[in-house]
Amino acid sequence: MKWFYRIVSVVMAAIFLLPVIWMLVVSVKEEGMKIVSVVDWFTPPYSLAVYDQILNGTKLTDWLLNSVLVAVFVTLLTVVVAAMAGFVLSKVPFRYRAVAFFFILSGLLIPGEAIIIPLYQVAKDMNLLNSYEGLIIPVLASPVAVIVLKSFFDGVPNDLLESVQIDGGGTWRIFTSIMIPLIRPALASMAILTFIGSWNNFLWPFLSITDDNLFTLPMGIPTLMSQYSEDYVKPMVVNTIASLPIMLLFIVFERQIVKGVSLSGIKG
Amino acid sequence: MRMNKWRADVQAFLFLLPFLLVYVLFTFWPMIKGVQMTFYKWTLIKKMQYVGWDNYRRMLQDQEMWDALWHSTIFVLLTTPTMLVLAIVLAMIANRKSRLQKFYRSVFFLPSVLSVAVASFLGLFVFQPYTGLVNSVLHWLGVLSDQREIFWLTETNLAWIAISLITLWWTVGFNFILYLSAMQDIPDEIYEAARLDGANDRQVFWRITLPYLSPITKTITMLQIIASFKVFLQIYIITGGGPLDQTRPIIQLIYQTGFRKNDLGYAATMSYMLFAILLVLSIIQYVINNRKGANA
Repeated sequence: MKWFYRIVSVVMAAIFLLPVIWMLVVSVKEEGMKIVSVVDWFTPPYSLAVYDQILNGTKLTDWLLNSVLVAVFVTLLTVVVAAMAGFVLSKVPFRYRAVAFFFILSGLLIPGEAIIIPLYQVAKDMNLLNSYEGLIIPVLASPVAVIVLKSFFDGVPNDLLESVQIDGGGTWRIFTSIMIPLIRPALASMAILTFIGSWNNFLWPFLSITDDNLFTLPMGIPTLMSQYSEDYVKPMVVNTIASLPIMLLFIVFERQIVKGVSLSGIKG
Repeated sequence: MRMNKWRADVQAFLFLLPFLLVYVLFTFWPMIKGVQMTFYKWTLIKKMQYVGWDNYRRMLQDQEMWDALWHSTIFVLLTTPTMLVLAIVLAMIANRKSRLQKFYRSVFFLPSVLSVAVASFLGLFVFQPYTGLVNSVLHWLGVLSDQREIFWLTETNLAWIAISLITLWWTVGFNFILYLSAMQDIPDEIYEAARLDGANDRQVFWRITLPYLSPITKTITMLQIIASFKVFLQIYIITGGGPLDQTRPIIQLIYQTGFRKNDLGYAATMSYMLFAILLVLSIIQYVINNRKGANA
């Protein structure tokens, strides 16, 4: 029985890894090779010539940079804006707090995909199409982030705040020098999830961007792929270049990513 | 915190302002604007004439819309139960004490960090006939004879299977992690007590593990149904909605209506159909979640 479990485990791991390994291996093959059996994929001759072609002959690296830039700005701004809102909703009693909270909570029920057509019209009216601002600003308000961060602020004891207040600290100082450091793990997890979300965001860039200098990877890749026929090497090089940075990030931050994901389940 | 009441209100408002500004402009305002659009003939260039309830009437009689909704539903039905089973199996593998424990966790989550475009194109090549990974491995193992090929992407049923498998591979990681952390929260003493009472593996799984996982299972089920309903890019890349629009999901139809057929008014109307369905699902999820109590 123990062996049965072990075999199932190894086979599953192989199935999950194989496509990624295949991608990496095919990407370093020579172009135009005849493939008769699956073994041919995994044996030499190898070549990096196509990497050179793709890196220097296409806009893929620009798109990679766009994806990184957009994701970094979206992540930073989303987390800051959500933390500010979550903080006052949790710790500062003010008029209409309950109203504000339910207004934001109701956002959980509005699926982005279902309002994307009017969002296109709104962005067009505001001259936000085909711009970095247009890629970043409309996606910044994340009700989920506010609600999750609020619940973390709720966990910070109030006496801690009162002692600072006697000290003469203002609300902004309390927020930046006390609250932020205390919930840093939650902020990090939220940031990672936001980053992955932005990295994968397809529909909005797809509709709002037509200038190929502003493409992000999820849009650029299909555009590039449509020019390639038959051979697998070029597509796999494109896939690999697009994936290596995020895979490295995953290896470095695996623990935080896993924590972030389990956190999102608690809120779910 | 105590301070001058009026000042406190203003200050709180300033903290909320950045969020509310974006939220109102790019979530609430489009939602309202969209309702207006459904009552007009509205192109990519400009608003045309008022058409009353025409878009709604047209939608209810539009076979293409019902087909697309059905295709999205097929995708939900195919991926939700399989997702739950796969996520639990993977979590059990990674939860067993072994030297490879950490390795399994990384491997099962790895595909989830790939861009949706990369995962889809990888899938497209994995399921190619003749030289694709799946067929060549099947040939190599002798499961598939050399003369036969499986044309995964040009036969509707097989295309659904291919799309579902790719989606499971690419997205199971998140649910796997949720199950894994839920399993790790089950106290060891309960297992030990069950073993002392002579329970075997199967009994432990059905009587202890699964019941303990049922709150998270409910959550994952609903989130998965909602997420699957919003499927678009995998299908768009892998089959293009074909063969003969047989796999085209609702979001692809909305996109094509708005941007290819230049009919934003009707596209917005169909969006509200999707909205209504997702709203009902979200409310069901909310009710289920809040019934289970303590979970914040």
